[in-house]
Amino acid sequence: MNRPAALVNKKFRSTGIGVVQEKAMVALLALCALLTIGITVGIIVMLIGESWHFIQSKYVSLSGFLTGTEWTALQSKDIEKAQFGIWPLLSGTLRVTVIAMLIALPCGLITAIYLSEFASSRVRAILKPTLEVIAGIPTVVLGYFAVLVVSPSLQFFSGGGFDTFNATSAGIAVGILCLPMVSSLSEDALHAVPRALREGAYGLGCTPFETSIKVVVPAALSGIISAFLLAFSRAIGETMVVALAAGTRATFTADPREQSQTMTGFIVEMIKSENEYGTVQYFSLYAVAFTLFVITFGMTLVGQLIRRRYQEVYS
Amino acid sequence: MATATSSSVDDGSPPPESGYPGGGFAVSTDNSSRRKLYSRLFYLLCVLISGLSVVVLGVLLVSIGWQGHSRLTWDLLQNSHSELNPDSAGMWPSIVGSIFICGICAASALPLGIGTAIFLEEFKPNSKPLRMLHSFIQLNISNLAGVPSIVYGLLGLSLFVFMFNVFGRIQVNESSGTELFGVNHYYQVLSLAGGGHTVLIPQEEEAEKTIKIDAPTQAVDRDGQKFELAIWDPASGEPKPSDPKVRERTVRKGQGGGSYSETKWYYLRLPFGKSFLAAGLTLSLVILPIVIIASQEALRGVAPSLREASFGLGSTKWQTVRHVSLPAAMPGIMTGAILAMGRAIGEAAPILVVLGAAVAKNSGPQNLMDNVVTMPVLIFNWAGRQQAAYQELAAAAIIVLLAVLLLMNSAAIYLRQKMRVG
Repeated sequence: MNRPAALVNKKFRSTGIGVVQEKAMVALLALCALLTIGITVGIIVMLIGESWHFIQSKYVSLSGFLTGTEWTALQSKDIEKAQFGIWPLLSGTLRVTVIAMLIALPCGLITAIYLSEFASSRVRAILKPTLEVIAGIPTVVLGYFAVLVVSPSLQFFSGGGFDTFNATSAGIAVGILCLPMVSSLSEDALHAVPRALREGAYGLGCTPFETSIKVVVPAALSGIISAFLLAFSRAIGETMVVALAAGTRATFTADPREQSQTMTGFIVEMIKSENEYGTVQYFSLYAVAFTLFVITFGMTLVGQLIRRRYQEVYS
Repeated sequence: MATATSSSVDDGSPPPESGYPGGGFAVSTDNSSRRKLYSRLFYLLCVLISGLSVVVLGVLLVSIGWQGHSRLTWDLLQNSHSELNPDSAGMWPSIVGSIFICGICAASALPLGIGTAIFLEEFKPNSKPLRMLHSFIQLNISNLAGVPSIVYGLLGLSLFVFMFNVFGRIQVNESSGTELFGVNHYYQVLSLAGGGHTVLIPQEEEAEKTIKIDAPTQAVDRDGQKFELAIWDPASGEPKPSDPKVRERTVRKGQGGGSYSETKWYYLRLPFGKSFLAAGLTLSLVILPIVIIASQEALRGVAPSLREASFGLGSTKWQTVRHVSLPAAMPGIMTGAILAMGRAIGEAAPILVVLGAAVAKNSGPQNLMDNVVTMPVLIFNWAGRQQAAYQELAAAAIIVLLAVLLLMNSAAIYLRQKMRVG
C-alpha cells in the first residue's frame, strides 16, 4: 500500500504523552500566575508581621502612632523620649502630593485633550516622544533636578522665603514625574470616545472648547478619574525625589516652604542610618511602610473599580 | 473689540480633523463671539501647557548637561568612587553592577511575566469559580503595578536578604547562614619563606576564628594540593631550613593564623544577604507587573483568525501558543520587556533598601553573594553631598545613565520595527 511520504516519515507520538505534556505546561503557567497572588500575600504578611513587633514594643502605643503629631524616631538619642506619631510624615507626604497633583492633573489633562482633540500629526510627533522620554527618566534624576534647578529658582523668586530643602520643589519634581502618566492614560480614555459624539456636538453648533469640555471629557470621565487616582498613588509612593529634595525633618504644618519628611523619605533615612535589625526605630520603618501600602493599595483598587464599574463601553 | 475677536477666529484655522464648521456661517451675536473667544483662549492654553513639558525636558537636559559636561571624561567611566579624591572618582563598578543586577532581573522576571500573561490571555477558563479566580488575578496584577517600589524593596529585604530568618541571620564580615557550595574556609598561616608567603589550613570548626600551630598538620596550597605542614621550633636550636621549597612548607612553632574564606563565582548561601542576587530578584518583583501587562497587551493584539487557523489544523492550545500566538506577539513583548528593563536600570529605592546606601566598591561582583553598587544609588549618594565636585560628578553620571536608557529605548524601537509581522 502506498502511503504519503509525510505519513511514512512522521514520528507519531502517543496522544497520551501529549495530553500529559499539555497539562504540565498549563500547570506551569498557572503556577506563574498564582505567584503574583503570592507576592501580594507576601507583602501583606511581611508588613503586618514586622509592624506587629513595632506595636508590641513598650515605647509605642497604637493610639499614639495613629494620632500623634510628633515623629522623632531618629532624632532623639534616648529611645524613652522618642515620639512615634504618624501625622508629621503623613502631612509631609500630603503636602508634596498635593503640590504634585496641582501640577500634574490639570496640565496632564489639558495635554491629553490637546493631543486627542486638537494636535496636528506634526505636533504629536514632537509631543508624544517628549512625554515618553519624561516618563522614562529615572526618579533619582528628577530629584537631582529639583535640588539643582527648582529649589534655587524658588529661593531666587521668593527672595529666600523657601528652605533649601522644601516640600514645593519636591512636589514640582513629582508633578513632572506624574504628568506623562496622567496625560497618556487620559488620552487613552479620550480616544475611546466615539467620533459620532463629537460630530453631534459640532452639529449643534458647539465650539471646539465646548465639545471637549462638555461632551468628550464627561464621556471619558471614569477613565480620567482612574488615571488621576493612579497618579495620586504614584506620587504618594514616590521615593527618590523626596529623599533628595524634601528634607529630613518631620514637620506637622501646612506650610509648603518648610522642610517636610515624607513616609518614603523616612524609610530611606532609616535605611541609611545605622540602626540594626531589632530596634524599635527599625521596626517603625515597617509600620510606616504598612501605612503607605494601605493608602496606595486602596487608591489603586478604587481606581480599578471605578474604571471597571463606570466605564462606558462604545461598541 | 468684538471685531478683533471675530477676525481672530476667522483667520485662525481650526484643526482640520476636529470638524469645526469654520467661522463663515456662524451667527455673529455677542454670545457667539464670546464663545469663540473662549474656544480660542482654550486652544492657546492647550498649546502653552503642552509646550511646557517640552520646555521642562529642555531645561532639565540643558541644566544637567551644563552642570556635568566638565566631568564627562574617561576617568568617569574607568575609575571607582573615591572618598578622598573626588576629582578622579568614577562610576565603572556601578556600571558593571547595574548590568549584573539587570541580568538577574531579566532572567527571572521575563519568563515569569510572559508565562503569566500567556496563562491569563490564552487559557481563559469557562467554569464560574475559575473565571472569578482569573479576574481576581487580573485585578491583583493591576494593583501590584501601583504598589510603591520601596515596599517591594522591603519585601525583598525580608524575603531574599533575610528569608524571614529561617536560615539564621547574616552577620557583617562573617560567613553565616547555610552555605551550599562554592566556598572553602581556611586558616591563613605565614610560612617561613617570608615576604607574605602563606599556607592555608582547612578550617574544620567555623566558630573558631584563629588557631595556633603546635604540631605538624595537613595543609593545602593554592592549587588545592594537600601536603604535610612541617614545624620549625627556634627554641630547639635547630637551624632554620635553607631550601626555599622546604621553607614554603614550614612554619614557626606557636604561630597563629586567622580565618580566611575563598569563594568561587558560584558561591551560594541561604539567605542571600545583601547580595546582587537578592537585589536583582527584588527588582524583578518591581517590574513583573509591567512585563505582564505589556505582554498581555501584545498577545491581545494577535489576530484571532491566526489562532483559529491553528486550531483548525488540529493543534492543541499550547501548540497554538508556542508556534502561533507567541511568535506573532514577540515584537510587542520585546518592546515591553526593554521598557521594563529601562525602568529597572533607573530604579534606586528598592536597591537602596536591599543593599544599603554604601557606594565604596572598586569592582563589579566577584561571586553571587557579593555586594554591588548601581548607577542610580551612586547618583543618589553623590547628589546628596554638599561638595560641588560630587554635585558635578552626579550630573555627569546622570548623563551616562540617560545615554544608556536612550540606547535601550532605541533598541526597543528598532526591535519593534524589525520584528513586525506582515
